[in-house]
Amino acid sequence: MKKPRLIWLQSISCNGNAHSFFNHPDLFSLLSYFNLIYHPLLESSHSLIEVLEGTLPCDILILEGSFKEEGFQKNGIEIVEVAESYAQKAEHIITVGTCASFGGVFKEADPKNISGFVFDIEEKIDRYTQYASKLIALSGCPVHPKWLSYVLMMLVKDKPIPIDEFHRPQELYGITVHTGCTRNEYFEWKVDTKGWGLKEGCLFYENGCQAPYTKGSCNKILWNDVSSKTVAGTPCFGCTEPTFPKPNLFKTKTNMGIPATMPLGVPRRAYLTLTGITKSFRIKRFEERIISYDD
Amino acid sequence: MMIKKLIEKIEGEAELDFIFNNNNKIEEVKINFGFSRGIEKILEGKYPLDALVITPRVCGICNHAHLLATVRALEDGYRNAGIKVELSDKATNIREFTLACELIQNHVKWFYLTMLPQLEKMLQIENQENHGLKASYLSSTITKALAIFSGQWPHSGYAIPGGVTCDPTYVDVIQAEGLINESIQFFEKIIAGVQIDELLSMHSVTELQKIGGDFGKLLYLLGSSGMAEVGKSHDRFIVFGECLCFKIGKSIPTQVSRINPKYVKESVQTNSFAKSVSYKGRQFEVGSLARGMISKEPIVKALHKRYKDSLLTRVFARVYEIGLLLNYSKVLLNRLDLSQPSCCLGVGVVVEEFEGIGVVEAARGSLIHKISVKKSVIEKYTIITPTQWNLSQGDEREKGIAINAMVGASTIEEATYIFRSFDICSVCTTQ
Repeated sequence: MKKPRLIWLQSISCNGNAHSFFNHPDLFSLLSYFNLIYHPLLESSHSLIEVLEGTLPCDILILEGSFKEEGFQKNGIEIVEVAESYAQKAEHIITVGTCASFGGVFKEADPKNISGFVFDIEEKIDRYTQYASKLIALSGCPVHPKWLSYVLMMLVKDKPIPIDEFHRPQELYGITVHTGCTRNEYFEWKVDTKGWGLKEGCLFYENGCQAPYTKGSCNKILWNDVSSKTVAGTPCFGCTEPTFPKPNLFKTKTNMGIPATMPLGVPRRAYLTLTGITKSFRIKRFEERIISYDD
Repeated sequence: MMIKKLIEKIEGEAELDFIFNNNNKIEEVKINFGFSRGIEKILEGKYPLDALVITPRVCGICNHAHLLATVRALEDGYRNAGIKVELSDKATNIREFTLACELIQNHVKWFYLTMLPQLEKMLQIENQENHGLKASYLSSTITKALAIFSGQWPHSGYAIPGGVTCDPTYVDVIQAEGLINESIQFFEKIIAGVQIDELLSMHSVTELQKIGGDFGKLLYLLGSSGMAEVGKSHDRFIVFGECLCFKIGKSIPTQVSRINPKYVKESVQTNSFAKSVSYKGRQFEVGSLARGMISKEPIVKALHKRYKDSLLTRVFARVYEIGLLLNYSKVLLNRLDLSQPSCCLGVGVVVEEFEGIGVVEAARGSLIHKISVKKSVIEKYTIITPTQWNLSQGDEREKGIAINAMVGASTIEEATYIFRSFDICSVCTTQ
């Protein structure tokens, strides 16, 4: 079987996706399925200068970083043009990270001119129609290494990948980050955490956690195989969504004491009804510390 | 004669203009970075705590150092505004541990993805081994230990004014210890070829012969190819970040003295998006070599005595630091008392106006963040990265550190290798 030829091209980025993927526990057995034409960290068959000419073969194009229509060059060549020339010939395009997918953090420096490769936040840009049929978006800041390996291997096996409206694979983004969170009991019973640095309590009510309305499998496919933000007591910042980063990330926006954004798909009335019931009970176990260390 | 060259795989790219003199030696080098992402500008108008999420995105390889510099800047600012901010030993030790892990990850990638393969390439030695695999193994092992506390790597936001957000159990600590032990074994067997204790107790140059493994190979190749003594610069070092097992101060070249951050000056350079940095108008080297010199590590001092601030001393100091940090991470985990609080500040603390500075030692050297907050939002945010110190163009008085180190090289390959020995981080330099 001929190995698919892979180019990993960086636009305006922090390299976080490349480094995230570099931590994949099976990195090299995974890479053995591909002919690595270019990668920003790993030894590959061609130099960046050669890549920039836009003439190398490419079956799978991985794009990292946000795009500026004019003014982001490497060696005097516009990167968006290099990306386009490979996007045209590639069979598959994968945008890794929220920058390449939707614009991300770096969009904010020049919101008018910087966007994702085919989405500008939630809007489809002109380029969309041309590439939609071969596009997979793996948003997240950064991308999880195993989300990318899943997509790459599905492409090698030539299996279909069901996607959502933003071209994100449903198998990865069909659930919310809330799914699998170790704090789920506290969410169910509407018990707020009593401060930072506690394993008890939910971060959704005060601490800014966006997990109940953010799509992603951070708490199902753990980070670095061991943890996740919410497990470590950090609120989910909604980094897989086109709107990342929203303002005031460590504080929940509330209306009359109720979170302004509801868990995904949950009607406000249903949420309020449930909250009314759960809050009428005081459950001792949820008020206590789980572990007591004797001094 | 001038030759332009694009240097890639340095966390981005840089364009170097090499100017040769009549004796075919490099006389001058211009370092150009073509783009700035404008992170400092992006931060203006944001809520102060949001900086904890934004600044790690400066850099995919040293994001954690940026997070810790931000949290220190916020805490310094809170204190300046009269708020009492105290950290438990537990929170301090956890932060130090995660920082140490990130430094190790950086050092290992630089060693296996840059220094070893590039030297083999330059000397036309056919490589039979997969250096990338070794880098990936140790990097994923050590960042797993980091993520046990920070939730993830890269790009966590787990440090918060007053402490950390995590609340680990001893199950976590034991797992982290296991990963550190695994990393120590890898370091001893594969990288250094000697026990860590033996490496750390070395004090004379003759003892270096005991070093084996890939580190021994690199030292041998540097020595036998005549590359050991190239790459000397101003022989002046500075360390600002009070953290880990490092001491702060400046060293010219071996005379250590105190420093004050108010003498750090950042200025715009023509033709480059990178700003230059100087201390009292002079150029200083930052990074592992500087840390080794100021902390007076015996073996680093011994090498420096013989080889000055050459490529060999610089490379040695950095790989040696992996051993130092692995050892120190074990100490930190052992010290953890989980009965202490993780965070000593409440959720609702809002300070409307403050100014603060946060400094940490990142892998490549001192990282400085300055924040100024007015009416509850960030008015100005300044980031001074290690690579800015090492890559400054310099002025009429003296050339920048890396440039001075490259001057005198006879080939572009040699100069580029010297350049890479500073472990350039393109994205940090221009932000």
